[in-house]
Amino acid sequence: MAVLAETRRVTKRFGTFTAVDAVDLAVASGEVVGLLGSNGAGKTTLIRLLLGLLRPAGGDALLFGALPSMSTRRRVGYVPQTLGLYDDMTVLENWSFTAAAFGSARPVLPESIRDSKDELVGRLPPGLQRRVAFAVAFSHEPELLVLDEPTSGVGPLSRARLWQDIRESTEHGTGVLVTTHNMEEAEQCDRLVVMVDGRVAANGAVADVIGSATVVQVTCDDWRKAFAALEEEGLIVQVQSDALRVPGSPGQVEEILARHSLPATVATVPANLEEAFVSVVTKGTHR
Amino acid sequence: MTWGLELASVRFGTRTALDRVTLVAAPATVSIVVGGDGAGKSTLLRALVGLVGLSSGASRRPPKSEIGYIPATAGLYVDLTVEENLAFSGGAYDVTGQEYAHRSSELLERIGLADARDRLGGQLSGGMQRKLAVAMALLHRPALLVLDEPTTGVDPVSRSELWRLISAAAATGTAVLATTTYVSEAHRASTVTLLDQGRSIATGAPSEIVGAVPGKLGVVRSAAQPRGPSWRRGTTWRLWSPSGVLPEGTEPVRPDFEDAVIIACLADERGG
Amino acid sequence: MWPMIVKEFRQLKRDRRTLAMLVALPVLLLVVFGYAARFEVSNIAVDVVGPQAEQVAGLLRAPFQVVDVDPPAGESFVVSRLRDGDAAVGLVTGQRPFLVLVDGTQLFAAQAAESALARMTVTGKAGGSLAPAVAVRILFNPKLKTSWIMIPGLTGLILVFIGTLITSLGIVRERQAGTIEQLAVMPFRPWDVIFGKIAPYLLLASLDLLVIVVVGKALFGVPFVGNVAIFALGALLFLLVTLGMGVLISTVSQNQGQAIQLAIMFVVPQVLLSGLIFPISSMAAGVRWIAYVLPLSWYIDIGRGVMLKATPITALVEPLGVLAGMAVVVLGLAMLRFRQDLAPSVRGGRAITTAPAAVPS
Repeated sequence: MAVLAETRRVTKRFGTFTAVDAVDLAVASGEVVGLLGSNGAGKTTLIRLLLGLLRPAGGDALLFGALPSMSTRRRVGYVPQTLGLYDDMTVLENWSFTAAAFGSARPVLPESIRDSKDELVGRLPPGLQRRVAFAVAFSHEPELLVLDEPTSGVGPLSRARLWQDIRESTEHGTGVLVTTHNMEEAEQCDRLVVMVDGRVAANGAVADVIGSATVVQVTCDDWRKAFAALEEEGLIVQVQSDALRVPGSPGQVEEILARHSLPATVATVPANLEEAFVSVVTKGTHR
Repeated sequence: MTWGLELASVRFGTRTALDRVTLVAAPATVSIVVGGDGAGKSTLLRALVGLVGLSSGASRRPPKSEIGYIPATAGLYVDLTVEENLAFSGGAYDVTGQEYAHRSSELLERIGLADARDRLGGQLSGGMQRKLAVAMALLHRPALLVLDEPTTGVDPVSRSELWRLISAAAATGTAVLATTTYVSEAHRASTVTLLDQGRSIATGAPSEIVGAVPGKLGVVRSAAQPRGPSWRRGTTWRLWSPSGVLPEGTEPVRPDFEDAVIIACLADERGG
Repeated sequence: MWPMIVKEFRQLKRDRRTLAMLVALPVLLLVVFGYAARFEVSNIAVDVVGPQAEQVAGLLRAPFQVVDVDPPAGESFVVSRLRDGDAAVGLVTGQRPFLVLVDGTQLFAAQAAESALARMTVTGKAGGSLAPAVAVRILFNPKLKTSWIMIPGLTGLILVFIGTLITSLGIVRERQAGTIEQLAVMPFRPWDVIFGKIAPYLLLASLDLLVIVVVGKALFGVPFVGNVAIFALGALLFLLVTLGMGVLISTVSQNQGQAIQLAIMFVVPQVLLSGLIFPISSMAAGVRWIAYVLPLSWYIDIGRGVMLKATPITALVEPLGVLAGMAVVVLGLAMLRFRQDLAPSVRGGRAITTAPAAVPS
């Protein structure tokens, strides 16, 4: 598997603010890497470094084994969060524009969007707009795809279909780098790189990131009182359908509930990705 | 006293944005409407609070002074400070004097902006802005809190904190109705409504929706897309058999909430 | 590069507002500079009074146009006619030399009258006919200063900018940020919101007006000889028209760019065709009607009349009435449209409002 893009301890500062701090990242062909982090964690800056739009203050950013340049950038397909399509042009016009701009011989419109080729992009439903944006980015057959929040605002079925398109592209050897702060999306990636304040806080498959983190699950008849009681003690309580989830030890939780005479069932369950992420972030920011 | 919509429809010319939707927002519960863009989530909320007129059906809501509404776009003034934003809300809802001082401090403390009263709304991060908007909507302890995609575009940590805020409101008795495009968030609610193209495809507690999944679900570990209704989940495919009979080489698996939602959409597509 | 050009053309052909401007603006400029932008005054309304009125009236040729011959009347009658704007020049016979009173607020008419009179006297002498010497007295703006007639008009321009452009931007900004929706759900009445939004601009515009008048007086010596109450009334009515226009523009614009485009299309014709710069009487007959449709034209009448001539209210009934009518129409429309945004009508279904059972803890 060829490494398409990589950064080696890359650093970027803006004045006194360190946006990216010694980050190692690699995207190989055929894999989907997810870059997960809060706004301001450095995701966008890292992408810009990879694309050569910013010069590193330290470390290296390599695109296809060399320093990023106009010619290597041509081999990258980029879909920003705003899609980068012209709302006041048709699907076909957008497609032709990109094809002409990249100088590629006009390959045929993919089947998934062929039916709407004469529709104005601005009039299409958002899910379809995203598929068009993806198709347009993929039209010049890039070896690396960079997608910024690819399924933000999209319904469950459309999301599944979009990910189908993304997976299909990896079968052709394309490497995909996705930035997201949506757990559902993160779970679709082969590997996750979690960024906190410019640094890599966790790295690995989803299961590895969650690791052995657990939370205490509480089922109680009067969830309102239980919620109030636990919050009063300073615990961070999340509501999940008909249960409460609290980090901490079961014993501690049982003790609090007993004090308030609230009968409840208390059990230790594995944390979900969001809970793991929050704990990674809060640990990471309190160095 | 519950609020909500009863067979509510909203038509704009020939386009039906909402089609006979029934939904209940009960006190002390969190109800969530999940659907993609264009499903009609915003129209649903706007019909409930009275921003758009119904073409048929009924909408049941408390008087304006008992509603807290946050539209999909922020809901606060970026050129006013945190304090000024809250003061505006206070003035509008007639929360003044001692009560205002007490309530605003309590809320600011809760959202972590107690030391940032003089910061301009525009200088806050997206997550902070949303939290402030929720605080503004909760200032007058509304009976019904309506939030349009409160967590879209918000970073995960702020999202978590926002949900805590929302749950806390429900815990004090407020009826909460929110919309989202994230299925995992919908799982937090006691009642979920799945909306697609203006119609309610499935509604009920998350466990009920999972329980109502027709047919059988299997996992296929090949690279090629299996024949039949299927979708990607990570590196594998999920294959749904409406008839209940899974083909050879498929591992049966219990559907989780996300599976249940996708299956409901697929079933609707086929049946509709 | 070629794909960029193709793309720009494709986008342009779908941008209706920009296309409209591309067509409308040249047409407007053509009309203005072809037919409207004239400084030459081709007819000057003249009153002739005094014992020799009829004889003298017969001697007057173009550009003079006799509108009233009144032998029994005298100087004071002519002065009030000029003050009311019913004539630009008054000839008082019955003394030697004849007295010619000229309305100094009609700058170009006054200049044209002066040169025409000079020509007449010269030819008179040469031809030896009855060509009495005339004494010319310019009233209201004796030195024919441009600043004196521009500044009242300027006050109107300020009111247009604040009333229309700035107000519409203020409202559209809220629409763009999505906060107008929220206002509709808060316990505000639509009237609270509308008035709350325009009140600051009303106040600011009035303040600006005051400043300009004071500065005009201090720096340029522009007089203010008329009734302040009449001026205030005219300004208020005009302001209501421009504010109404501002609100109206905001209800049809989704963003600030669109609002600015519409505001420009409203303001520019008024600057050029309201008599601010080019006198209305000089405009070709076919385009003169445009001036009467523009609110600024009527306001300038009031402004110049009150400030420079102390025109009484009886003579200003027409402009005040027109402005009042425009205000009612524009504001009414604007309110109706804005209300729709804030309190949509129930079309078919039922909306049931019930109070909550118990107050949450």
